[in-house]
Amino acid sequence: MTAEHPRDGEANDQSSATLSLDEALAAHSDSETVVDVDEPTQQLVLFRLDGQRFALPGSAVSEILASDQPVYYVPGLPASTEGVLHLRGKIESVISLHQLLGLPTPEGTSKGMILLVRAAGVTSGVRIEQLDDVCEVTQSMLQAPPETLPGTLRPYVSALWQIDECQALALLDPEALFDAYQQGLG
Amino acid sequence: MPEQLDQHDQAQVALVLFRVGPYRAALEACHVLAMTDQPTSSHTANAQSLLDDEGDHAPPTRWLTLRAAPTTNSENNSTWQLGVSGDITLQQLPANSLYPLPKLLLSRRFSTALCGCTFDQRQLVLLLDARKLSP
Repeated sequence: MTAEHPRDGEANDQSSATLSLDEALAAHSDSETVVDVDEPTQQLVLFRLDGQRFALPGSAVSEILASDQPVYYVPGLPASTEGVLHLRGKIESVISLHQLLGLPTPEGTSKGMILLVRAAGVTSGVRIEQLDDVCEVTQSMLQAPPETLPGTLRPYVSALWQIDECQALALLDPEALFDAYQQGLG
Repeated sequence: MPEQLDQHDQAQVALVLFRVGPYRAALEACHVLAMTDQPTSSHTANAQSLLDDEGDHAPPTRWLTLRAAPTTNSENNSTWQLGVSGDITLQQLPANSLYPLPKLLLSRRFSTALCGCTFDQRQLVLLLDARKLSP
């Protein structure tokens, strides 16, 4: 076995690429990609209404129900009330947020999933059009809602998540939503 | 407390079930004094118009006689008649199968008489508080 020596001209290049074993192993480790665990994170349930992206805090969403969950219509209630569902021996309301958020009411029958939301001492199903994801984000990614936010949304949006240059997502405040609904809005 | 829960699990409530337009509804039987095919009182109301202001209301086919809520101007024994439709049945339903209206809906109901719901043959039955109904 013969040792190979770097030829002239290659020495400098190779010396700059030389790593210790520790460095080489560290370069392959995940240490640099791990999120700083000290930074507080928040779980979000991402969904869409009228094609727009919204989220609710994961702590407020106790269950995600399939779109075929039977909902029984109850007369004598506003149009934003879809009805009630019978879930494991309990009755829960199912409401739509479109009117409250100033979004056009979808035509036809509801097809999306139902988020079972608990806030302000109230539990209710909330119909969504599309479930996008359930994810964990760091608090620093959530920004205060801008002044330019439409007035219909402003009372119910607690933060904005700028996903990229083109897309932003509004984090809804479930307590504000339920309080407003109980006060006759939506 | 466990005794109370056990009592609730075993207790039954007598209800008069009927139809209100396309919906099924029920009143606690103790509030229903009589049933007739034609109204016999001058004080009547169609249950559908009390529950749901919108839409066309089919004429009632039965009349349930209820005791009027006492007021300063009326006698305690005055009665009125509630127009309903469909088959009228008397049923004993388990107390633990009768659910109060969810909190959000309590705050938005058009009629305070709508107080809860139950299920009979996999159909929703609206529970009405007879004391909150009036012609």
